Amino acid sequence: MMDSKPDARTLSYINLYAVLGTLENLCELDEGARALLTNKKPIAIGFSVKGGPSATLTFFTNGRCRMEDGIKECDILLPFSSCEKFNGMIDGTVTPIPSKGFQHIKFLLKSFVPLTDRLSKYLRATPEDLEDEEFFNMSTTLMLYTIAVAIAQIGNQDEIGKFSAHNIPDGDISIGIKDGPGAVIRVEDHHLLALKKPAATYRAVMEFKDMKLARDLFDGNVNALACIGSGDIRMGGMISMVDNVNRILDRVALYLA
Amino acid sequence: MAAKINTYEKSREWFNRATKVIPSGVYGHLGPAEGCFIPVSSFPLMGERAQGSYFWDVDGNRFIDYMCAYGPNVLGYNDPDVDAAAMEQVKIGNCMTSPSYKMVELAELMVDTVNTADWAFFAKNGGDVTTAAIMTARAATHRKKIIFVNGFYHGVAPWTQKVDYPGVIPEDVANNLYVDWNDFEQLEKVVAENEGEIAAFISTPYLHGNFFDNILPADGYWQKVRKLCTEKGIVLIIDDVRAGFRLDLAGSDHFYGFEADMICFCKAIANGWNVSCLCGKDFLKSAISSLSYTGSYWMSAVPFAAGIACINKMKALNLPTLLREKALKVTGALQAAAENNGFDLRVSGEPALFYLRIANDDSLLLHQEWVSEMVKRGIFMTSHHNHFLNASLTDEDIAETAAVADEAFKVVAKNHPELF
Repeated sequence: MMDSKPDARTLSYINLYAVLGTLENLCELDEGARALLTNKKPIAIGFSVKGGPSATLTFFTNGRCRMEDGIKECDILLPFSSCEKFNGMIDGTVTPIPSKGFQHIKFLLKSFVPLTDRLSKYLRATPEDLEDEEFFNMSTTLMLYTIAVAIAQIGNQDEIGKFSAHNIPDGDISIGIKDGPGAVIRVEDHHLLALKKPAATYRAVMEFKDMKLARDLFDGNVNALACIGSGDIRMGGMISMVDNVNRILDRVALYLA
Repeated sequence: MAAKINTYEKSREWFNRATKVIPSGVYGHLGPAEGCFIPVSSFPLMGERAQGSYFWDVDGNRFIDYMCAYGPNVLGYNDPDVDAAAMEQVKIGNCMTSPSYKMVELAELMVDTVNTADWAFFAKNGGDVTTAAIMTARAATHRKKIIFVNGFYHGVAPWTQKVDYPGVIPEDVANNLYVDWNDFEQLEKVVAENEGEIAAFISTPYLHGNFFDNILPADGYWQKVRKLCTEKGIVLIIDDVRAGFRLDLAGSDHFYGFEADMICFCKAIANGWNVSCLCGKDFLKSAISSLSYTGSYWMSAVPFAAGIACINKMKALNLPTLLREKALKVTGALQAAAENNGFDLRVSGEPALFYLRIANDDSLLLHQEWVSEMVKRGIFMTSHHNHFLNASLTDEDIAETAAVADEAFKVVAKNHPELF
């Protein structure tokens, strides 16, 4: 029988791809983040989680970064003996020890940690910070990307999420904010992939009327069904796809709470 | 002459009031979310009155209604014969400490009418009787597991939902097994893998699920299923809540040439008066008698009186034939309008419950646009669900529907010069 509780393995996939993966977008959109990397030698950090995911995060001289699946070549390798240990690093209770790249420890401490701190500031924003419009928009945009990738990870890894994914036909589902950022959940043979860019074409769409509404939804301050009734959320296309994504979205809150 | 374009100011006002005191304003299938009002601005949100094939919203817009309250309107809203019987019963007695003898009369009528029925058990909603059927099957067999057909809908009780639905826990659905429609070999395999553990196989008479073209039973499918269930001691339950009486007054199992062990009715029994009914074979009578299962209003007499009048009138009209003829006129007119404008409109399912889909794209976006244009012009349809016909629909209504359909197709075509 399935267990409805969140599991550490799925959480590790979310933490790696959805949370750390949002560093890509932070570096792209946030000048302060780019400044932490600019003019520094490119450096790649590998995250290897036993029984869980592995990926490489490469930071470039131009201040951008990119995450790729698996570990090919990296300057720093951070191995974790379990999903719980990796999740511990994300919530700050475990200090990772590199198995490779001790000479780059300065990058970890002086660039990587400040970057992740900056990301946390946006993803776990305080009400005071959100009063600033620019911060509000950046924070909401990054949350959208984090949530989109978390949807894909839960659909692929979580037992109940996989049940929902099993009911989604192939195609692209557009999730976006009107006149703002967007993401795509691409479904192929019930496997979900998140693309952090607006959809050009889609089979199904869920669009929030503005940043504020998206924020209120992400924070659980408004009800999605009521917003459909008010027209604040626009649905279209294969509604069964949107329905099943929404069931997974319900579990995103469970994992990212 | 171009059709009037509806506006919904009062609907919006009422809906906004509703959201303050009712979760999501209008919940369930009559609401904008589950009802797939796409876009919501094209649809009425609150009704005021209904008559025959029409309903009027609070803004005074009139709709030719192809959803029929999602099925209960089978003879026409406010049918004079059914309502007269109901009103007469109101004067005599409705919800009483001793149930009215009208319950017995309706049960006798159900047993006389429904081919597989040796008894009738009454409740209020379709889900009440699908649950009664499952409990009866478990009581009779002392087995846990139930086989469902993928794409099913049997109500909203936790056992009928899926493990990822809000409020449902894995334990609620732990004994649910799933097979694909029309796949007898898969069913045989599931039965073999769970030998001696399956209490029931529950299915609608054909696959009339939402968001996909409806599928009729393959030749011989039901006969093979019937034989397998009999051999393995599995109770065969037909959920005829949606299709019941619209295909065959003796039950949709009779229509497809087999006999269910239990059959569930609701929507069309009493033309909108609230009653549902589970009918079954004699060997299950003791099991259902043993259930602790009842409700405050299940033995109210008014819906029983309405049900007797409704069933007798459906018989007098030869309703299934009447609906089929009307439905073929409607779908023929819609397909002609589609073809004239370059649209590929697919019609599936049984005619009396026709399902529509524009197949020029694979996303339903064009179909939703067309349905929106229809509703704005006073033809109430949905983009995700089968439709329902009622006996009062006239040729003039069908002609009006065809004219609006043509206009709506033209609007959609004009909006998509890249396609048409």
